[in-house]
Amino acid sequence: MSTSVAIKPPVEPAVGKERTRLTGFMPLIALAALIAALTIADPDFLTQRSLTAAARTAAPLIVLAAGATLVVLCGGIDLSIAALASLSTVFLALWIPDLGGLATPAVILVAAVIGVLQGAAHVLLRIPSFIVTLGGMSILSAVALVVSGAGTVRVVDDSTVKWLDLYVGGYVPMSVMVAVIVVALIAVLLKVTPLQSWVSATGYSESAARLAGTPVDLVKIGAFAVSGACAGLAAVMLVSRQFSGGPTMADNLLLPAVAAIVVGGTAITGGHGSVWRSLAGALVVTLLRVGLPIVGVPSAYEQILYGAIIVVAVALTLDKSKVSIIK
Amino acid sequence: MNALEVRGLVKHYPGVKALDGVDLVVRPHEVLGLAGENGAGKSTLLKALVGLVAPDKGQILVRGEPVKLRNVVDAADHGIGMVFQEQSLVPNLTAAENIVLGSEGAAVRRGVYRWDTMRRLAQEQLDKIGSNIDPLARTDTLTFAERQMVEIAKVLRIEERSQHPPVIILDEPTSVLESKEIETLFAQIRRLREFASVVFVSHRLDEVLDVCDRVTVLRGGRSVGEVATAGAVPRELHRMMIGSTGSDDHYHGNAATPVVSEQPRLSVRGLSGRSFQDVDLDVAAGEILAIVGVHGSGREDVCRALFGAEPTTAGEIRMDGAKIELPSTRAACAAGIGYVPAERKVEGMVGSMSVAENMTLAKQKARCTGPFVAPRKQATLVDRWIRRLSIRTPRRDTAIGRLSGGNQQKVVLARWLVGGDVRLLLLDHPTRGLDIGARSEVYRLMRELASSGVATVLLADSLEEAIGMADRILVMSDGRVTAEVACPNGGKPSPLDLVKEMV
Ligand SMILES: Nc1ncnc2c1ncn2[C@@H]1O[C@H](COP(=O)(O)OP(=O)(O)OP(=O)(O)O)[C@@H](O)[C@H]1O
Ligand SMILES: [Mg+2]
Repeated sequence: MSTSVAIKPPVEPAVGKERTRLTGFMPLIALAALIAALTIADPDFLTQRSLTAAARTAAPLIVLAAGATLVVLCGGIDLSIAALASLSTVFLALWIPDLGGLATPAVILVAAVIGVLQGAAHVLLRIPSFIVTLGGMSILSAVALVVSGAGTVRVVDDSTVKWLDLYVGGYVPMSVMVAVIVVALIAVLLKVTPLQSWVSATGYSESAARLAGTPVDLVKIGAFAVSGACAGLAAVMLVSRQFSGGPTMADNLLLPAVAAIVVGGTAITGGHGSVWRSLAGALVVTLLRVGLPIVGVPSAYEQILYGAIIVVAVALTLDKSKVSIIK
Repeated sequence: MNALEVRGLVKHYPGVKALDGVDLVVRPHEVLGLAGENGAGKSTLLKALVGLVAPDKGQILVRGEPVKLRNVVDAADHGIGMVFQEQSLVPNLTAAENIVLGSEGAAVRRGVYRWDTMRRLAQEQLDKIGSNIDPLARTDTLTFAERQMVEIAKVLRIEERSQHPPVIILDEPTSVLESKEIETLFAQIRRLREFASVVFVSHRLDEVLDVCDRVTVLRGGRSVGEVATAGAVPRELHRMMIGSTGSDDHYHGNAATPVVSEQPRLSVRGLSGRSFQDVDLDVAAGEILAIVGVHGSGREDVCRALFGAEPTTAGEIRMDGAKIELPSTRAACAAGIGYVPAERKVEGMVGSMSVAENMTLAKQKARCTGPFVAPRKQATLVDRWIRRLSIRTPRRDTAIGRLSGGNQQKVVLARWLVGGDVRLLLLDHPTRGLDIGARSEVYRLMRELASSGVATVLLADSLEEAIGMADRILVMSDGRVTAEVACPNGGKPSPLDLVKEMV
């Protein structure tokens, strides 16, 4: 009636580190592949001058994308970052004459507060973040137009923000240094505190996170605050380069920022991803924007190539084993 | 000829051999049971049969022909269908729409639903299982059991795709059903046997012996034996599953310590909410209180309310005499309350996160030094609990979603223990989906916690479990507490006594 077969003892609770998968490095690999391709297309591309120029352009995008990544990791989206950055350039340009050096922290603080307000609206009124920030985008744009008088606000004495436009060691733009430091700060803060667990749990499964006592609401509002502060910092970088603020100055950065996040391999559905990935993603997006014309791609094809490469890059970088539903 | 045969199927996952050369035979018109501990490979095997898992090695034969199943549609073409444990119906569609979904056939003409045809097609399916569910009822208005019937009706549509009797697979269909619903399901299964073969999985061995003709036992990814159910007893089956004789005292009654209550640990007065009114209850330190009741009794919501996860409109909650407010789950955690939800996969754990992260999610302090995570401290802590609860996981940073159900549940339980500060545990069906061994371990753990002074509220999986574990039982119906039954060791009531109180 029954047969017996010798069986092995159960698997022991082994201890150690799960082998890091190749997918973790995919954003870097995509970046390297892109640089290689551009260099092959035009050997002159790999000069210090064009790299420096690309990096300088990338800095505000890196900061914007890094901040918004936190919101995406929590399972939401922040569509207001570009409009908030535009508004912040206006505030900064208006405040520098009075506040001088204090204008920078003031602008970042105000942007963070605007982020908190949006986060609170999302959490307390239970409105999807997509809608809240879509509304926010519209309101902030309008406010920027009103405050600026619908025109560019010149910064006459730019001594207080000029430092961002300097070069470290002659090559590395200061703004890029700051952007990388911001990314590193966020990454380290997540890693060494329970925040990483809280953010991922909230993003992967909000109900499970809540039933484990995770402060889900605070985590989300915090993510919006960081996203706002980063938009403020991006605005400071823009003003330091253009010596002025404008009500639509950063508006065209929204889609590149979202593209940077997904190209980095952060799941738009939440949970899986990191700010480092968005840094790599922002570099890929910028290199495409700056690089394609440099290597002589006709402008008609530029958009096609840009779109195609973004889609391929996401296919490469998204770790499908970590993300069950792809929407 | 055999309806279905599996030969030497092998499936590796990183760090585990889920299937290690398993063999299986399903004969025409029989109900085959599949028994085995958590992680024995039952679900993996069944998923391979419907093309959801690609085996590394081995053969699947349908009526003697080797086949390659790449997906669910492939399997359906061969007459194999599965009723999924995580219900796969779309809630805001009608039962009829759900039944034809994915294989609309004549119900869609020129891209437009033809409701009459659809209704007729659906009715045909429902008639097959003799169900009187209205095909035009919205799925989310049906009860859990009714939805399961709809799923079975849906699966039966595979009959139209092949000329042969179908094979219907049910993976743990009873774990979320109540005893009456289980009876209906079993009647259904017996009816199915007339024209199909059925593969049935359950951790309740009496059920397996009741409804199956034959049982194949899996252990460590292999088939280790076969039992004809006529005349077999659960113990024998259990012995084959684990390869040795299990302990006699399933509920560890001898480890129960008498409750000495001066002041209740938890004291609730007049608690009201959406689905419960005026609930009074007391639990002493070290006491296990079970709440029993049918669907709609409101006991689940009372539990959630005590964890701050369900709003209340009136009432007072005291812990150790001090009045507390529970506006959020976080407040409840801080008050030393722990909660194990019934829906483990969606609410109990975060599947993509590691065992270690899941275990420390609620008690971050236990793995931190100051505000910072201390990796060493976390490793030691997590490893200690992995060992203590003998959680079978390849590594501590393996994603919890990859463990078997029993091991997942142990991690979820450990979540409240790592802090060492839990005073009240709310357990909503803590043994759902667990094998006997794992269940027994959970019971032992509950006893241990009780004797260390933790108060427990238990929503048991069955009346037997409630009686076996509880010191006292509350009966709830329609949102009110209707009876209280003392349940001391040595003076346990019978299930019948309880049922009398429940009506
Ligand atoms: N997707 C996966 N990735 C990695 N390992 C897996 C995966 N699915 C299952 N396993 C492992 O394979 C083994 C068999 O799992 P399976 O789910 O088949 O067990 P089971 O017999 O159905 O258990 P239970 O009774 O708990 O449902 C387990 O050790 C499990 O951890
Ligand atoms: Mg299973």
